[in-house]
Amino acid sequence: MPGLATAVFYLALFGSSFNPANLIPSNASQYASSVISNIFGGAPTYITYLTAGVICIILVFNMAFGGIDLVLDRQLGYLSTLLTAPIPRAAIYLSGVAQNLVKVLLLAVLTFVVAFFIPNGLRLPASFGVIDFLGVFGAFILLGLGLSFIFTALALSVRSIDSLVAIVNFLTLPIMFMSNAFFPSSSFPTWLMGIANVNPVTKANEAARLLIVNGTLTSAQLSTYGLDMAYLGGFATALGILGYLAASRALRPE
Amino acid sequence: MSEIIEAKGLTKIYGGKLMAVDHISFSVEEGEIFGFLGPNGAGKTTTIKMLNTLASITEGTAEVAGHDVAKNPGTVRKSIGVVPQELTADDELSGAENMVLMGRLHQLSASAAKTKVDSLLSLVDLQEASRRKVKTYSGGMRRRLQLVMGLLHEPKVLFLDEPTLGLDVQTRSKMWHYIKGLNKERGLTVFMTTHYLDEADSLCDRIAIIDHGTIKVSGTPAELKTAHGGDIIALTISEGVGDLTDFLSGIEGVSQVTKDDNVYRIKLPNTEKALPSIIGGVLQQEAVIEGITFSKPSLDQVFLDVVGHSMRDEEASSSDSGWENIKMERAR
Repeated sequence: MPGLATAVFYLALFGSSFNPANLIPSNASQYASSVISNIFGGAPTYITYLTAGVICIILVFNMAFGGIDLVLDRQLGYLSTLLTAPIPRAAIYLSGVAQNLVKVLLLAVLTFVVAFFIPNGLRLPASFGVIDFLGVFGAFILLGLGLSFIFTALALSVRSIDSLVAIVNFLTLPIMFMSNAFFPSSSFPTWLMGIANVNPVTKANEAARLLIVNGTLTSAQLSTYGLDMAYLGGFATALGILGYLAASRALRPE
Repeated sequence: MSEIIEAKGLTKIYGGKLMAVDHISFSVEEGEIFGFLGPNGAGKTTTIKMLNTLASITEGTAEVAGHDVAKNPGTVRKSIGVVPQELTADDELSGAENMVLMGRLHQLSASAAKTKVDSLLSLVDLQEASRRKVKTYSGGMRRRLQLVMGLLHEPKVLFLDEPTLGLDVQTRSKMWHYIKGLNKERGLTVFMTTHYLDEADSLCDRIAIIDHGTIKVSGTPAELKTAHGGDIIALTISEGVGDLTDFLSGIEGVSQVTKDDNVYRIKLPNTEKALPSIIGGVLQQEAVIEGITFSKPSLDQVFLDVVGHSMRDEEASSSDSGWENIKMERAR
């Protein structure tokens, strides 16, 4: 499926070509993994760091562009079929949110698995277990939920695919680059760091990476994880309310 | 016979400016096939959207199956079936699967829906194709499927918006046969819109002619044709005899004469009686008859009479109605 191919390209190609370890001169190559580890919060390889970032990008892009199907539903008249059926308007909105989320999460899991097979790819610590895996994907689920709430409401509110694509194109790149998806935000210039640090994508990456790099967490790391998850929960709730209001308006009779 | 649809002063204004439907009132009897006939942009689709809860009502009231549409849209949706203009069945599902999906959307359980699927599909001769994906269906088959998709929950009223749009002559006639069958066998009230005169004529028990958002006239096709139609004789006379209009109007049995270049359109209730006098009289005037045509009443004649221009003229200025649609989109 095309989504998986994009993810693999980002991981394998971007992850290999942009790997900062490439910059280390060959006579100092034995220091490569400790340099990476220092810069990237303990990650043994760049792709280990990048995996969470790429999964977040998949979430953002697929939620955003997944709305195109909903616009088509409206244009082709299928939405009218739903609107004349005796079902609550909320069901139309929430089913759109759910189907987008489930599709993309499956893609995210596949990406995670594929990351192992790339050379210099994802390497998990020995203590990484099922609970840690759930912890990682818990962060992605909360991020995905918030994104799905708002992007589904957006798709229901516009009348043409052109409008949706224009809005979405404008939003996705800032969301992607004003975060720690590719690089730690601690090394950003101040103006960028401020935005990056409130970006929910950053929080999701941070939470996921704590587990991916460390496996079992110290209590300090656990509280960071907890704060990140609370932030993501708040983000999802806020966007849920906003999205619900926008969708109710969009699904009103014309 | 009770009224199952009742509209009073029904009005739709888009964006505070564009009045698509202008204070119309009408009622539909239970068990009849009622048609809104009019050109594109007349307000037919807007009216049907107000009745099937897709569009809000700006002014006036409408009651469908005993419930106020504005106040209880959810209850109204349970008693109506809606067959839209567009082809909305899911291409990737089979006919039967589409039926079950619609059933479930209308609060039937999957098993209850499945039991009805075969009998409904056989009503429109689709049982053989029922397991095939809809993308393999022809346009006519899709419309037949949509016709019965609206019936799983046994609604009291079926709303059909341009049911034979884009179909060829044979398929259209088959669709009329299916619609009539559903109406007769199930006592299903049908509210339809169309711009096809022959469809309104052969299918509807009663019609209302709508143009520019208002109802011009309504009644059974036969009533309308008698009142506004009448036989027409078109007599082409060669040049050189002067205006025969007054002379022709004076002939017994002639109701009205209009002249267009050298063609006289003579309206009269009974051609058989008056024709000999007309031809005899014209020949006596030493006029040369170049051609005679004779037509029985048609809804096009009714339309011309009532609206002031032919449906075809309205269709020809379709750039106008395209603009109407764009204006409506913007006003929303």
